[in-house]
Amino acid sequence: MSGWQSWGVVISLALGTFLIRYSFIGLFANRDIPPWLEHALKFMVPAIFAAIVFSGIAMAGGRLAGLEQWPRYAAGLIALFVAVKKQGNMVWTVIGGMLALHTLTWLARVFPNQ
Amino acid sequence: MLPRHPDARAAFWAGARTILIVAPSYVPFAVVCGVASTNVGMSTSAALALPVLVFGGSSQAVALQFLQNSAAIWVAVLSGLVVNLRMAIYSAAMAPKLRHLSAPKRMLGAAFLVDNSFAFVERRAQTHPKDPHLLWFYTGITAVLWPTWVLFCAVGVLAGNVIPASWQLEFAIPLSFIAMSAMSVRNLPMLAAALVGGAASVLLIDLPLKLGLIAACFIGMAAGLLTEKTLPAKRLAE
Repeated sequence: MSGWQSWGVVISLALGTFLIRYSFIGLFANRDIPPWLEHALKFMVPAIFAAIVFSGIAMAGGRLAGLEQWPRYAAGLIALFVAVKKQGNMVWTVIGGMLALHTLTWLARVFPNQ
Repeated sequence: MLPRHPDARAAFWAGARTILIVAPSYVPFAVVCGVASTNVGMSTSAALALPVLVFGGSSQAVALQFLQNSAAIWVAVLSGLVVNLRMAIYSAAMAPKLRHLSAPKRMLGAAFLVDNSFAFVERRAQTHPKDPHLLWFYTGITAVLWPTWVLFCAVGVLAGNVIPASWQLEFAIPLSFIAMSAMSVRNLPMLAAALVGGAASVLLIDLPLKLGLIAACFIGMAAGLLTEKTLPAKRLAE
């Protein structure tokens, strides 16, 4: 990635995000958020967070991770378990998931399929 | 810098204290975001400016993950912005609290709006109704959260060159979002939105230009709205 490409990402992401944040505070200051939009955006949060989780776990190096990469999927499930138990605590979830990933990857190497 | 009025000072420190309890849990996420920006080959100056100017971890992580998977730059930015669309809700909720301010101050108030500051300011507004110093509470939160975020992203940027790839640290990004998902799903339609959105993101992985995430987001949203319409209101209340 070249220098101007890097700065292109930074500037456009920053500017776009600011416009979203400033939307009803400044741009449409004398207008309320339409109820349907507010309602729909509430469902957008779980949808996009889960989409990031699923695609982030199932994608390795730009391609779909096959079943031979089962430690990725198992670690994801273990992290989900930790997240629910710990009420969404990010530190425990990340540590639990990373430990699971490396332990299971190690196990898969030591005990390969017969 | 700090206000003269003792109540305003108290509100500022109350905000700072409140967020100080939460801020440490974002440290690993910040470090991972920093590492990711080094891994995708961003120039160091741009990687350091990213958390300063964007100050939105989810969108930073998503944009970087897209660049990692060699998506086009505009798709990476667009995906990051879709992640931030939820901030329009925060903007609408904060608008009445900032209405009396000048435009530059309103811009400043908007620039630091994130999930946590929004949530805590809303809660404070409920526990301290008609508090004239609510915005000092928000300032106190921001005075802790923003420097913490920037600092630990910078740690990640600098550590990114040292941490070996075998640690698979990029896996921590979806893991962080597992924690955030567990917080964001509060009822059955939201669970439907999450499951359908997640499944769609995998099924649409091969969509051209890697637009699958954006498509999956809207499909999941539709699933949530549909579930809500289909389920009788009585069962939702349970």
